[in-house]
Amino acid sequence: MEFVGPEGLRLDGRRPLEMRQLHAELGVVENANGSAMFEMGNTKVIAAVYGPHEVHNRSQQLWDRALVRCEYSMAAFSTGDRRRKGKGNRRSTEISLVIRQTLEAAILTNLMPKSQIDIYVQVLQADGGTRSACINAAALALAEAGIPMRDLVASCAAGYLNGTPLLDLNYVEDSGGGPDVTVALFPKVDKVSLLQMDSKMPLEHFENVFQLAAEGAKAAARYMREVLMENTQNLARLVTAT
Amino acid sequence: EEGASRIVLPGDVVFGLAAQAQNKVLRLGSGLSQDADRVVAIKAGRLNHAKSKLWVEGSQKRYIPSAEDSVIGIVIDRRAEEFLVDLNAPVLGLLPILSFEGATRKNIPNLKEGAVVYGRVVKAHRDISPALSCLDASGKGSGYGPLKEGYLFECSTGLARSLLGTPTYPVLEALGKSLAFEIAVGVNGRVWVKSDAPATTVLVSNAIINSECLSAAQQHILVQKLLQAAK
Repeated sequence: MEFVGPEGLRLDGRRPLEMRQLHAELGVVENANGSAMFEMGNTKVIAAVYGPHEVHNRSQQLWDRALVRCEYSMAAFSTGDRRRKGKGNRRSTEISLVIRQTLEAAILTNLMPKSQIDIYVQVLQADGGTRSACINAAALALAEAGIPMRDLVASCAAGYLNGTPLLDLNYVEDSGGGPDVTVALFPKVDKVSLLQMDSKMPLEHFENVFQLAAEGAKAAARYMREVLMENTQNLARLVTAT
Repeated sequence: EEGASRIVLPGDVVFGLAAQAQNKVLRLGSGLSQDADRVVAIKAGRLNHAKSKLWVEGSQKRYIPSAEDSVIGIVIDRRAEEFLVDLNAPVLGLLPILSFEGATRKNIPNLKEGAVVYGRVVKAHRDISPALSCLDASGKGSGYGPLKEGYLFECSTGLARSLLGTPTYPVLEALGKSLAFEIAVGVNGRVWVKSDAPATTVLVSNAIINSECLSAAQQHILVQKLLQAAK
């Protein structure tokens, strides 16, 4: 299958180094302490954050920092064929762990000892890059909830097909058998928080693909900052009265 | 420190300490953290600068306890010497059973689970459960204590601070001119309203909840509309 046509266009008309359109909204789940919806092309996810609050299971309480829990699940209607079990399967457990580790590195957990922060991410529409979209949505939700973080976390994925590095793979490209490198980083300090790859890739191409994914993450970070800034400005306008 | 009233996001460098050559004392309040030679914002909000203190003020749904805050708590349980109180905070607060006006060993307030209390945070630190009291600093009640009847609802911490701030919050001013009601505001994002008629309580609560993102003029219009509809 040809993933990059003769004119240099991909299956959905993008150039190899082009990201999909990003769209984010904050405060989409009223009941949650912080929430966000993040779209990367057709991939659409919602993140809801609850906390910090008392630990429900006393035996898991950490004396010197907050306990961070994360649950990733896919809605039954998120993929082409109706999915029977969207959580509790191996893939969901792994992605839950990955998202939790990535975000825990950003949260200043030592400021809230003996408390618990719950992060729920749900995929509504899956078209490749759900891991990245979930990390981005969760980071925005945490910022909206006012949970102290050392920096925002932004994420993007890149792959390598037909001899070309491709940024932000969609589902068809992801299923193409090539590698899928996911990068999450702290944009302000330029440090990597997550680096994952599946499948195999010749070593000489890795640096390029990694850099490409990192650039994509930085672009996502710029957009996330805009959205968060606008939301904070709307709320902060009221507070200046005191 | 120029432009100290700007919006900051987590990770933003507020200023580099190396650039501040003078020997000045600057206190960092909530929302800021010192990272080696830089001061970094760790929360999204407005950067405020008053006297020698710098802090970030944002509006959240969850409350972080701080000393001298007036809060509305919900009693969860009673231990031997204190009540466990939910403050919408990372950990439960502790309210000693004798910290009420007129409380003695023989006359302990009989607060059951679910009771609403208006109290003051005496001590708060991240490593301890916040200590509460229903007495002010001089030992008098001054409005603190159990809140009976009435209606309790939650709001953001930003709205709660505005309700308690000066000048008087426009919605409260407008409502106070036409209606009689009692109100208690906890900076932990809880508001208690009580009045003679349920319709009045509903009107006051709706006015406050819907006023969050409105300007003073818009708030006056909102109250006018609600009062008109109630007639």
